Amino acid sequence: MTDAPRPYPGYDVLAKWDTPSWDAITREVVAHRLDRVPERRFFEPAEWETLAALCDTVLPQPDRERPIPLAPFVDAAMAEDRTTGTRWAALPTMREAWRRGLAAIDAEARAVYGRRFHALPADARESLLRAIDDEDVRAPEWRDLPPRRLFRHVLANEIVRIYYAHPDAWSEIGFGGPASPRGYVRLSANRRDAWEADLERPKRRSERRK
Amino acid sequence: MRPRVPSERSRRAVALTALASVGLVAGAAWVSRRRPPRRRPEGSRAARQVRQGAALLAGSVLADSTMEHYRGGFHNRTMFVAPVSSGLALVSALAPGMMTRRARQAVNAGAVGAGLAGHLFHLRNVLRRPGALSWESMFYAAPLGAPGAMTLAGLAGLAATRLETGQPRGAEALRAGRIGSLGTVAGLLGTTAEVALLHFRGAFHNPMMFAPVILPPLAALAVADAARRPDRARLRLARILLRATAAMGLAGAAFHAWGVHRNMGGWRNWRQNLQVAPPLPAPPSFTGVALAGLGAAHLLEEARR
Amino acid sequence: MTRGIPDVRATEGRAPDVFSRDGWVPMRSHRDGEDVDFAIVGTGAGGGVMAAKLAEAGFSVVAFDAGPFFRPLADFASEEREQDKLYWTDERISDGRDPIELGSNNSGRAVGGSTVHFQMVALRFRPEWFLARSALGYGRDWPVDWREMWRAYDEVEDALKIAGPVRYPWGPRRGRYPYRPHEVNASGLVLARGAEALGVGWAPCPIATLSAPRGRAPPCVYRGFCKIGCSTNAKQSILNTYIPRALAAGAEVRDLAMVARIETDASGRATGLHYHRGGEWRFQQTRNVVVAGYSIETPRLLLNSAGPAHRHGLANAEGLVGRELMVHVNDAVWGTMEDEIRWYKGPPSMAVTEHWNYEDRKDFHGGYAIMSQGPLPTDFATSMVGNLGAFGMDLRRRMAGYNHMAGLKIVGEVMPDPENRVTLSDETDALGLPVPRITFGYGENDRAIGRHARGFMSEMLRAAGATDLFETTGTAHLMGGCPMGFSPQDSVVDADGRAWSCDNLWICDGSVMPTGGGVNPSLTIMANSARIGHRIRALAARGELARAA
Ligand SMILES: Cc1cc2nc3c(=O)[nH]c(=O)nc-3n(C[C@H](O)[C@H](O)[C@H](O)COP(=O)(O)OP(=O)(O)OC[C@H]3O[C@@H](n4cnc5c(N)ncnc54)[C@H](O)[C@@H]3O)c2cc1C
Ligand code: SF4
Repeated sequence: MTDAPRPYPGYDVLAKWDTPSWDAITREVVAHRLDRVPERRFFEPAEWETLAALCDTVLPQPDRERPIPLAPFVDAAMAEDRTTGTRWAALPTMREAWRRGLAAIDAEARAVYGRRFHALPADARESLLRAIDDEDVRAPEWRDLPPRRLFRHVLANEIVRIYYAHPDAWSEIGFGGPASPRGYVRLSANRRDAWEADLERPKRRSERRK
Repeated sequence: MRPRVPSERSRRAVALTALASVGLVAGAAWVSRRRPPRRRPEGSRAARQVRQGAALLAGSVLADSTMEHYRGGFHNRTMFVAPVSSGLALVSALAPGMMTRRARQAVNAGAVGAGLAGHLFHLRNVLRRPGALSWESMFYAAPLGAPGAMTLAGLAGLAATRLETGQPRGAEALRAGRIGSLGTVAGLLGTTAEVALLHFRGAFHNPMMFAPVILPPLAALAVADAARRPDRARLRLARILLRATAAMGLAGAAFHAWGVHRNMGGWRNWRQNLQVAPPLPAPPSFTGVALAGLGAAHLLEEARR
Repeated sequence: MTRGIPDVRATEGRAPDVFSRDGWVPMRSHRDGEDVDFAIVGTGAGGGVMAAKLAEAGFSVVAFDAGPFFRPLADFASEEREQDKLYWTDERISDGRDPIELGSNNSGRAVGGSTVHFQMVALRFRPEWFLARSALGYGRDWPVDWREMWRAYDEVEDALKIAGPVRYPWGPRRGRYPYRPHEVNASGLVLARGAEALGVGWAPCPIATLSAPRGRAPPCVYRGFCKIGCSTNAKQSILNTYIPRALAAGAEVRDLAMVARIETDASGRATGLHYHRGGEWRFQQTRNVVVAGYSIETPRLLLNSAGPAHRHGLANAEGLVGRELMVHVNDAVWGTMEDEIRWYKGPPSMAVTEHWNYEDRKDFHGGYAIMSQGPLPTDFATSMVGNLGAFGMDLRRRMAGYNHMAGLKIVGEVMPDPENRVTLSDETDALGLPVPRITFGYGENDRAIGRHARGFMSEMLRAAGATDLFETTGTAHLMGGCPMGFSPQDSVVDADGRAWSCDNLWICDGSVMPTGGGVNPSLTIMANSARIGHRIRALAARGELARAA
């Protein structure tokens, strides 16, 4: 595994919290996200272990002292039966797709490495997911579950949505974050508005893009 | 019971606009009527008015160019020239005692030059934008016409320095008055063109936005006519329309303040809205030109006697 | 997540004032048993326009929407996950060779419909497309003269105060857009540079957001969250344009009211609607029904409304309901710029080229428009997951380039195909209604458009200075499902939007579009609905319409 990208060290999108860039409802929604991390309600403890390891593989955060919580929000979405509105015909309902998907990943880990998924080192977890995405699977649990569809469009999709809805992720990528009622004035390239942080362009692009 | 429909260009607003415009002209006419008995010679009065005009123009340019170039992030060093040059011109007009006459002349000549150069810089900016000389660039690249206001400020400043030395009389006053009138006409029409472009960009969403594209050209016509044949009636008409234009410039600033309030977040979001809403300092440049025009009218008056 | 979806708001003689944080406007209300002239299902692009047109023509109107009645200033957060509340997220089954993404990709559920979260691109059809079959040799003809549609475009463009270029470079001359174009952002200028380098035209994109104040709505602040709901009201959605007009003209709007079935009598005429609101089933009597639930819910409702004279579903004698469902090819190319672009500033698509809609020297039918892009973080991240299978540090590194990214995306025409369709599955939803199944597969021409466009956009991006290009594929929008046509054998409704087999049933939404064109559909849907509104008014004037006592 390679290092985490840090194109904008020191940039914190939350610095704008008390400015006209943030309105009441946005503060309320984001505060809720930050302060009230939901408890496990939906998944069984064993499923939870796999889920947590899956989240950590889809978006590893070794660089963060306090990682963005992912698994709790997946669990909350399942508990609320919150869906994306698309049920791929090849897949069961969303809750079932998650349950069976986690079980299949765990089974795949056992089939390939003889250990449960969450017990694998990070690079093994990553290559296992790559194999699943390439539909190169052995466990019988995949029989009627299309691995790529399930992995990309259900599992990773939800985890990624949660990660990039978190202010720390906004800071990481240099996103300006909430902007209402105050938006932006300077729309041209390489110009920032006075109320935007100086993102400090990284010294060499190649470092960042590798 | 019929709920209120979201109001747009309401009849009331149109009526108000018409009323206000008529009011402006009538008010100016009334002010022109009860002029105090002339004690001071027309010439010094002209000098004072031209200097006031120069000050207003320079002040307007200072505020406007600072704001606009700030909006552009002062990404190019030359963008500091406009505020610095107009700032000096402002000082020379407001506190002539602080500079020698030569210095004042240099400062104002500098403003004229900076204004002319500004057109070129802005043209370069326009041409570099995709679409080059398209409407989109006219609206959103550096405004081609804007530096003209600085040229005007410089010219008015030069004229003021010129007039303070002595009272031109007779043929000399006529000549000076005509030159001043010419500058006024050019200033009024140029400023109108700039406003027309910007108000067109704003889709004339408020009927009041027509006022500054209608009144100043009328004033310019009257001034030109008076300069051609400076008889009493013509001069009076020119003065009335110039005064109305001057008042309109001040009223415009108030309208623009209202415009700031109408943007999202209103005055609370001033850091954004001062930049994107109609520019507060722009309309008074009409007042500046009109004042200078009144100065020219006095010179013509002087020549008539 | 905290605020979520509000409760029923439009009730007891008042409806939310969308220009306020907590205000109200009065609303005329009808009882269920009261006969009304028109009951409208859906208040989006089609239904919202219709509600205003009919109410303004003096008809009594009740418009139903399954979604809530939002007040943008108070209810819309600058946060993607919270704003999922705008979408139709009940699970619908997506099947076929190329199953399409639903939910946030193409379906809204709110008073105002999908226009509450649309990206405001407001383009007209090319005139020849209304005669696609006879003039251009593909697809179907519309039973409507293009000039009639162009007059209707004028009307809806003015109603939405579209901000567009002073001279639009393609197609026949049109009147001036009501508002001037916006300043094109850095992302749009990438498109412009690419277009100029390849020698094709470009223009500031005509969009439905204000470039100057209008009434109580301020101009756009370029915050860029348009796709998840505009919290300033600058965006001219149906919610803050036609809905206030409809209410002012005396229409009633019922939010959070899901219509399940249209009741018909033995003669086959519609008599009322069964709907679910406030936790109970109710029945609204009506003289006429207009359906505008969009291309999935409209066929679903008709198919679920079998009656004595409509054995296979309402207006489905020929088995055409739900067929010829279309999407748009939404393929894109992305690249990295040396410059910092920050594409989240401003509406997502501020520049457009319609070159390939108006150029006929090409080896495929139909056309496509290219637009500049500015996706929000999760939107962009999920498209990289779905298309590239990017995850792990690889994904985080790619996302770290967010501020330097630029992208071009098309809206590409898809040919109508009867096998692409909406049917009812055996499963039922929480209300006990059959869950729809959507079957979709691209045809060869559709694929050719995608290939051509991806190639051309790559050239454009490279010419504009982008490096590390990558492509994504996808679909956008829905059209068709209940096509409008020339006879009961080839279509579900006639040129007036009136069902061939039920003379007091109209359809006026995206589902009646016989072809999809190479532009975003909502302006065409609105124009068509306004046009149908005029036709209904004319029918009434001739006494050919049932009126309430
Ligand atoms: C993210 C996104 C971006 C878009 N961007 C653009 C764009 O830039 N330009 C453009 O032209 N188009 C765009 N579109 C497409 C455009 O929004 C739609 O094509 C258009 O709104 C469809 O109009 P409609 O009236 O057919 O349906 P909708 O506007 O979707 O309205 C249908 C309404 O009916 C309601 N409804 C459905 N069934 C029932 C029922 N049984 N009972 C009660 N109510 C019901 C729904 O709740 C919904 O509110 C975009 C769409 C999306 C999703
Ligand atoms: S960019 Fe403009 S239209 Fe989009 S959300 Fe912001 S204010 Fe609304």
